[in-house]
Amino acid sequence: MRYGLKWLAGACTALALALPAQAETVRMTVSYYSAATGPYFEKMAADFHAANPSIDVKIEVVNWANLLQKLQTDISGGTNADLSIIGTRWLLDFVKDGIAEPLDPMMAPGFKERFIGPFLKPGQIGGKTYGLPVAASARAMFYNKAMLTKAGFPDGPKTWDDVVAAAEKIKADGGNGYGLMAKGTEVDVYFYYALWTHGGDVLDANQKAIFNSPAGVKALALYKSMLDRGLTEPAPTNYTRDELQNLFKQGRLGMMISGPFLMNQITKEAPTLDYGIIPVPVATRPATYAVTDSIVMFANSKVKPAAMKWLDFLFTPGPRIAFTKGEGFLPTTTEEAKDPAFTENARLKVFVSLLPNAQFAPTVTGWEDTAKAVTDAVQSVYLGTATPEAALNAAAAKANQSLGK
Amino acid sequence: MSPAGNHRWAALPWLLIAPSLIMAIGVIGYPFYEIIRLAVSDVSRFGQIRGFNGWDNFARVASDPIFVDALVRTLVWTITVVGGTILLSIPVALVLREDFWGRGLARTIIMLPWSIALSMAAIVWLWAFNADYGMINATLRQWGILAAPLQWMARPETAFPVEVGIGIIVSIPFTVTILLGGLSSIPGDLYEAARIDGARPWQSFLYMTLPMLGPFLNIAIVLNIIHVFNSFSIIWVMTQGGPDNRTHILVTYLYELSFYLGRPGPAAVVSLVVLAIVFSATAAYMWLRERDA
Repeated sequence: MRYGLKWLAGACTALALALPAQAETVRMTVSYYSAATGPYFEKMAADFHAANPSIDVKIEVVNWANLLQKLQTDISGGTNADLSIIGTRWLLDFVKDGIAEPLDPMMAPGFKERFIGPFLKPGQIGGKTYGLPVAASARAMFYNKAMLTKAGFPDGPKTWDDVVAAAEKIKADGGNGYGLMAKGTEVDVYFYYALWTHGGDVLDANQKAIFNSPAGVKALALYKSMLDRGLTEPAPTNYTRDELQNLFKQGRLGMMISGPFLMNQITKEAPTLDYGIIPVPVATRPATYAVTDSIVMFANSKVKPAAMKWLDFLFTPGPRIAFTKGEGFLPTTTEEAKDPAFTENARLKVFVSLLPNAQFAPTVTGWEDTAKAVTDAVQSVYLGTATPEAALNAAAAKANQSLGK
Repeated sequence: MSPAGNHRWAALPWLLIAPSLIMAIGVIGYPFYEIIRLAVSDVSRFGQIRGFNGWDNFARVASDPIFVDALVRTLVWTITVVGGTILLSIPVALVLREDFWGRGLARTIIMLPWSIALSMAAIVWLWAFNADYGMINATLRQWGILAAPLQWMARPETAFPVEVGIGIIVSIPFTVTILLGGLSSIPGDLYEAARIDGARPWQSFLYMTLPMLGPFLNIAIVLNIIHVFNSFSIIWVMTQGGPDNRTHILVTYLYELSFYLGRPGPAAVVSLVVLAIVFSATAAYMWLRERDA
């Protein structure tokens, strides 16, 4: 009997000791950026597990187009993962519903200082950090060197007038000059490039729509006139960004605006294409769009310390450099930015040099509604059913119904 | 059995179907309750209910011109797809009824599209209609019908008819199956008698086949209406309701409202409208069956 008790006590002690060593599982939803995304996170999870045998990281890769819908369904049903990559512009909705966990109290000393300030800022709301920038990109103009040299702009166009002049020459040779996209996501942003560089803004300081300003009308009228004069590919409403990029990779498009990820695609799919990267063309002021995706932790996670440990690992220079290089994004932490892969890449430097003039999507409710209203307006103008002024005014009225509410 | 025994066991049938009845009420009732609750509430993107707001969601949906357009287009979509399906399915079924060499193979080929998921079929068709490398443009140009590639999906005037056409193609297998069943129930000696009496083929089709096929046509029409009305994949995969919202039908509009714009409340209102319309179609179906029985 006595022996039995002793044995039992011993077993209990052993069990108690063993408990903390039992694996905790951290689940993370990541968005599909490229074929490399899944393998990257799987490898990082394996490396992390080797160093922290008590923590298992499970990765789930979701297509970007379905990500928000999936999160919405998971969260409504309470089956969401512990961490997820999200578009930073969605963050406000998460914070308002108390779904995202503020990360500051869990951060190791100096953790926050690893990030490049402007990229961390969109993930902070009300002085608290909810989103850590995992992917960042800015936009610049890609141009086909052979086509533009023939058109008399060997260094690419500097202004919108240059773009029109070059596109006219390219058209005379039977090519597509400037690529316009009017299908899928970011149709609104493609219009904002012209809006910003004509001196306009999307929202004013009170978060009301002002993209229908004279600058906005001028910008959209410019796009529409280029379409009407045959200076773009035919029928932009049939082209998503991916489809425009395909035209560009095939050498059938003179100019388009896109992000650094297109460089990786060209290296892989069209290595012989001779192209250059220059700032977004200017009318009155330089501008570009910068965008970050963030990792958030869900408030209902039961393994927050373990999840934070994994985040800490992900944002060390080794994993960061591998990710940013593999996907073709911009560095989001200062240490990775020092890597020669980024400092010695002349093309990538163009994107970095544009950051001082970059516009981020504002943290405001109704941003998706605004994007939708502007997309509809742009499409109706290209289809010829509305004038730029009428379409933008209607879109502004529609956007104002949801903005800031 | 004595009358008293009858009385004693009157509750038994109810008792026996009770489990399935309770389950049916649960399966139908719970989502219905949830949709009504969402429709009258201020709901966040993630389903958190922030408060009761009465008819606000209804007013918001009713005042949205995209909703009204989508409602009208849903009717056009349903009528053209179902109408086209029936018009094409009747001759196909008539041919497949004939006894010819290889009929089994022909029937299999007609049924094959049924085995492909709708969204997959839509993706394949989207490739076929691609302006730059699609097989449709390539074929039309080879035949000299088109001089330059036609941007099928760029304008609603071409994109929507293309979607209707694909809707028809994918609905044919199911409809032909129903009609073949109907045709096989018409005795062959009737036709023989008609022929001896001097009826021409078109006469025996018009005065015999069509009337006797009536009940089957009714079923095919109503089931197709219910199915096509809620058909989401083709339009969503090919145009997402665009460009400029001009290929939206109610279900694609509902999806965009809920999952892109993050407004489950108004989306619930739209699904109630869809429910009401489909319910009417179902009631019509029950009534037709009752009448024909």
